[in-house]
Amino acid sequence: MNTKSLFKSVFILLTTISLLGCQQDDHFEIPFETGNEENQALNVLLTEIENGAKTLLSVSQVRSYFVSDDVYTFSSDVVVKGYVVSSDKTGNFYKEFYIQDAPENPTAALHVMIDQVDSYNMFNFGREVYINLNGLHIGESRNGNGIISIGGRTNQEGDEVDDMRALDISEHILRSKTIADITPIKVTFSEINSTHVGMYVAVDNVNFIASEHGKPFVDPNDSFDTQRTMEACEGFGKKTFLLETSSFASYKDLPLPNGTGTIQGIVSKTYNGSDFVLTLNDAADAPLTGADCEPLSLDDFTVAFEDDFLSNNLNKWTSYSVSGSQQWGTVGFGNPAPSAKMSGFSGGARNNEDWLITKAIDLTGFDASTAAYFTFDSVKRYDGNDLEVLYATDYDGGNPTIDGTWTALSPALDNNTSSWDSWTNSGLLSLNNVGGAAVYVAFKYTSDTQSAATFEIDNVKLLVE
Amino acid sequence: MKYLFALVALVSTSFLNAQDSISGVVFGTSEAPLANVLITASPDEKETRTTADGRFSIPALADQTLTFFLEGYEPFILTVTLGDNVRVTLQPIGFEDEPYQNVQLAIINLSDDELSDENDALDNISGLLQSTEDVFLRTAAFEFSPSFFRVRGLDSDNATVMINGLPMNKLYNGRPQWSNWGGLNDVLRNRELTQGIVPSDYLVGGVLGTTNVDTRASNYGKGGRVTVSSSDRSYNYRFLASYGTGQLEKGWSAAFAIGNRWGGSGFQDGTFYDAQSLFVSIEKQWKSHSLNATLIATPNRRGKSSPNTQEVYDLKGIKYNEYWGTQSGEVRNSRVKRIVEPIVMLNHKWTVSPKTSLRTNLGIQFGELGNSRLDYPGGANPSPSYYQKLPSYFLTQNDGPDFEGAYRYEEDFSINGQLDWNRFYDANLTNNRLNLPAAYVLYEDRSDDTQLTANTILRTQFNDNITLIGSLQHRSLRSENFAEVLDLLGSTGYLNVDAYEGFQFDMNNPDRMIGVGEKMRYNYQFAAQISEASAIARFNYPKISGFLAGGFSSTQYQRDGKYKHEAYPTTSYGKSKKLTFNGGSIKAGLTYKITGKHILQLNGALIDRAPSLRNSFSNARETNAVVGEQAGRPLNQERITAADVSYVYRSPILTARLTGFYTHIQDANEISFFFAEGIGGDTSSFVQEIMQGIDKRHEGIEMGIEGQIFTSFKLKGAAAVGRYTYDNNPNVYLTSDDFGYLDFGTAKMKNIRLSSGPQQAYSLGFEFRENYWWFGMTANYFDNTYLDVSPINRTQNFLLDRDGLPFSNYDPEQARELLQQEKFDPYTVVNMVLGKSWRLGSNFMGVFLSVNNLLGETYKTGGFEQSRNANYNELLEEVNGAKRRFGPKYWYGRGTTYFLNMYYRF
Repeated sequence: MNTKSLFKSVFILLTTISLLGCQQDDHFEIPFETGNEENQALNVLLTEIENGAKTLLSVSQVRSYFVSDDVYTFSSDVVVKGYVVSSDKTGNFYKEFYIQDAPENPTAALHVMIDQVDSYNMFNFGREVYINLNGLHIGESRNGNGIISIGGRTNQEGDEVDDMRALDISEHILRSKTIADITPIKVTFSEINSTHVGMYVAVDNVNFIASEHGKPFVDPNDSFDTQRTMEACEGFGKKTFLLETSSFASYKDLPLPNGTGTIQGIVSKTYNGSDFVLTLNDAADAPLTGADCEPLSLDDFTVAFEDDFLSNNLNKWTSYSVSGSQQWGTVGFGNPAPSAKMSGFSGGARNNEDWLITKAIDLTGFDASTAAYFTFDSVKRYDGNDLEVLYATDYDGGNPTIDGTWTALSPALDNNTSSWDSWTNSGLLSLNNVGGAAVYVAFKYTSDTQSAATFEIDNVKLLVE
Repeated sequence: MKYLFALVALVSTSFLNAQDSISGVVFGTSEAPLANVLITASPDEKETRTTADGRFSIPALADQTLTFFLEGYEPFILTVTLGDNVRVTLQPIGFEDEPYQNVQLAIINLSDDELSDENDALDNISGLLQSTEDVFLRTAAFEFSPSFFRVRGLDSDNATVMINGLPMNKLYNGRPQWSNWGGLNDVLRNRELTQGIVPSDYLVGGVLGTTNVDTRASNYGKGGRVTVSSSDRSYNYRFLASYGTGQLEKGWSAAFAIGNRWGGSGFQDGTFYDAQSLFVSIEKQWKSHSLNATLIATPNRRGKSSPNTQEVYDLKGIKYNEYWGTQSGEVRNSRVKRIVEPIVMLNHKWTVSPKTSLRTNLGIQFGELGNSRLDYPGGANPSPSYYQKLPSYFLTQNDGPDFEGAYRYEEDFSINGQLDWNRFYDANLTNNRLNLPAAYVLYEDRSDDTQLTANTILRTQFNDNITLIGSLQHRSLRSENFAEVLDLLGSTGYLNVDAYEGFQFDMNNPDRMIGVGEKMRYNYQFAAQISEASAIARFNYPKISGFLAGGFSSTQYQRDGKYKHEAYPTTSYGKSKKLTFNGGSIKAGLTYKITGKHILQLNGALIDRAPSLRNSFSNARETNAVVGEQAGRPLNQERITAADVSYVYRSPILTARLTGFYTHIQDANEISFFFAEGIGGDTSSFVQEIMQGIDKRHEGIEMGIEGQIFTSFKLKGAAAVGRYTYDNNPNVYLTSDDFGYLDFGTAKMKNIRLSSGPQQAYSLGFEFRENYWWFGMTANYFDNTYLDVSPINRTQNFLLDRDGLPFSNYDPEQARELLQQEKFDPYTVVNMVLGKSWRLGSNFMGVFLSVNNLLGETYKTGGFEQSRNANYNELLEEVNGAKRRFGPKYWYGRGTTYFLNMYYRF
């Protein structure tokens, strides 16, 4: 081939190529199946869980790895599943999200720390996520703040968890395709305790106290966050609680709503952990526009049952010991003294199950649907199981473990185990459909050989409208 | 042969000359004079033929573009200076090829890069200077422009580009938009040039010369040409075909061209190129009239490339571009510049008498200009080189360096470091499931202009020594500016609210969900009207020639807001006040011919220039505010004072020019937009920085020298030694949605160098041509290139704490060090060209290869200080850190690149 024909060939070739343009066009294949890779990784993980290569733990099991003042590092192939209940869309959460163990009626929650902003568009509200814990840490996000967190790093002292690097997130946190409808768990302010931290809760009859009206969510003078005081009708009074909003929240300048309604948010704690606070995903979760609530008035109620134990006996009660030799009794202390008391400790913690059950409370004169509230004060000392409070209408005076259909109540109990003076009101515990019959309310105490708390109870009342 | 194409062999002066004319001699290849060569001179519209001894002389009062025609020979086009005596060798058709033409093709390739400019700093002059005979300007075009060298340090808004006498500079920024006629090289080479201050024959012009492209169909010979090219600079392939009918019956003629340029990526990664070109010109001539219609349509799209910090270049190399990522296995660039602005014009010429002509021109240009980018109203910053993703961020943590993080992110950035399109889709699809608006969208900033230009130019030769030109011109522009959603990236809608500040972009339609093809963010119109009158007188006497020119213009601008922005509820919606600028310009020049070999030239100009639209409204996207309005200062016209003096030497073997120049620009304005930390002590905001009343001084010398050592060997050299500086301390103020208005007083800018490319450039090279081969090589040395500085760091704000008192630790010595303007290292670029041609019967083929930066020199061509750390303490902390987070961003020159061109002519 001579030069000219070589030239000719190249020329024709180039001409052909140049007539077939194929540069970037605007028509890209849209990756509707994004997350495929992630799904594959999740499928692998699920298979591994199934065949035992990895172990799925519940959220509360994971929480039990937490040790005060310390950080625990997972080094085995354990996995936790949860549902995202926080959203950083408005900026009120920052490089973090909360998961709880179930879309409704959760029993435990966790704080997850990641070095990623705008995670709401990935780990969105309601998303089912699996967290591969191997190599991650559990501890508090700030020592002593009571927020049990999963993170990727620790502080230098080794007593706080720090966030997961953005580069590590995809390796550790896998999304499933499920987005659950999260039903907030209904609580009253007085019921909120440490197990609620990280849960999505709803509280009825909430308003901001009068002195907060007209103020914005965040005080412009606050650099980080602002706490505003809310209150809610609970029984015969109002219970206050704090709402905390970040100064980076997009709605920080909006005025606080000045009505009353149901607020939904995540239970968290203040910076130093001293108080529980509620935090919102969005200002729209506080549609407090209704009319103010009125606390119950004692005038409207009949006291169907009452015992302040001033009589220093348990005559109004049936004390039933299912097991163990320690039993309910009265004691010369109380609020005011005396009060009813139970301890499973006798030279050491003992196995016990002891019920203290009211005698039949006669509500035959009332409608079945009439409002009935149970209330009491408690103080707890020493570690041990909490009291359970239950009620039944079909108890017959026998062994309550086999006699009667018992429904549990959710009282606020004293959780300061180092004081005899931390008397705590249970809140008004609503009993459903008990009118027109006899009703029995029971305190169920349990202890084992590991721990046995002491409980004193006082000022027990059943109020019927 | 019925048509001709040109080849220049050699140009030099000789003989004695009549100084009111252009004269010379034409030879054939055998060194025998050629008789009866037809020579036409433009713009004087004169014709002559050579005598039996090959000589010709055309009376002229100004520089002319000469075209030489002779049956059987290549036509040859040359722009010559008044008084020149030229020696031209015409080549028989097919003998050799048009090396300059080929070089031009290579050079236009450079101006094609304008499409990829992310920043105005890379303003390219190469397109201005091609096909000039001046060795200095040719060197500037061919050798200096890849380094973004600017002639006299001036922005291209000082140059006027015309097509058929209609100015094509954009009213928005005053600059010619090269891509509006890109890819049509073959049909746009009939050009008339003036240098520097010299006015054109149509308009008074600026201080950086004028170019007029003539597209009249009868100017193209009969015949066609097909060109294909391959390159790794901006496009990868090019196809171009053109055909001229020559003179047809009944005075008709026509010319056509189509072109296509495309490529998956230029030198920088991810910079695809996609450009088509169409040219149609039809002319009808009758009696003393000529009417020509021209259509130029060049739709084009180009993936842009990013400026980067040194940290990023160190990790990813100089081809790195942060704007692209892969989607479904394909490279997708998020920042695409797209221009579709066809031009239609009608040009009428009436030769009233042999001495008087009247031209009337009407042009309309309309279309779309778009620049795409990602918006992330509900997502994290998508930039893969966002500062929080780079090692420097981890090395400069408040609680000490995080070496693990630095290492991990360095590794990650080195491997990945591109856009993650899948993440954007994933975020949007996730948001869809919760009925939330888009977290990421791809949108386009649009300027849809419709510009009408009309002028009429009367030219008459008053007597043997004086020619008079008068013209009237009106330009009117309507420009619709808005952002538009291009791609929702899987989302269902974009919420038209400022995600950062929470402001409604349009309070008249609050919380509006925006779909593909709908306007978003901002929406306003500009209207501009410019009326101009000018008069030019040229005179020419045996020893002395010159010109006197004056013009008057009246400019009106108005903004009309279509959105009511929540941050500016009273000033964003509706019409702004009308801005009116009335100004004049005067130019004068003298050429004194000491002898035929020694010529002295002296030119001066005083020009009042209305600020461009871009520099008239301080935050046009959101408000009607005029530059200076909030500060209580008037918006003034720019005043340009310019003078140059040249000595020209011409002998048969040596041509040389030495020019000293001085240009002073007063009362200019500049607007910048950026995110600043440390405004007024410790706040951070997205701001508009308005610098007003800027004076700039451009002074220096330029020289070119060319020696014909042997018939086939030529040595050439050129040098530009300039000093381009700010000449005062202009006023600076900032505006922002966040804090409104802040006056910063003056910025200490005096004597700071302008970032206008290398202020010193030297070139030395040779050309060798023999036996159908053509070879050339040059070495080019560049020095004194400076970084663009941040004015805000040079105001009082730099040293004031939030209480308004100076920082207690302020150390002037340290501050001086921090604010020292960066000067880039000097560098040398070696370029090479090689050409060869063949004759195939009566047709021709040629091939031409140019290799730029043969030695692969790595060099910075420009850059700017980031204004992110806007006070002493912030900057001190930043600079003292282990690595700078917000160091300057740079552009790097290309490594070794090639351009291969082949053509076939018939």
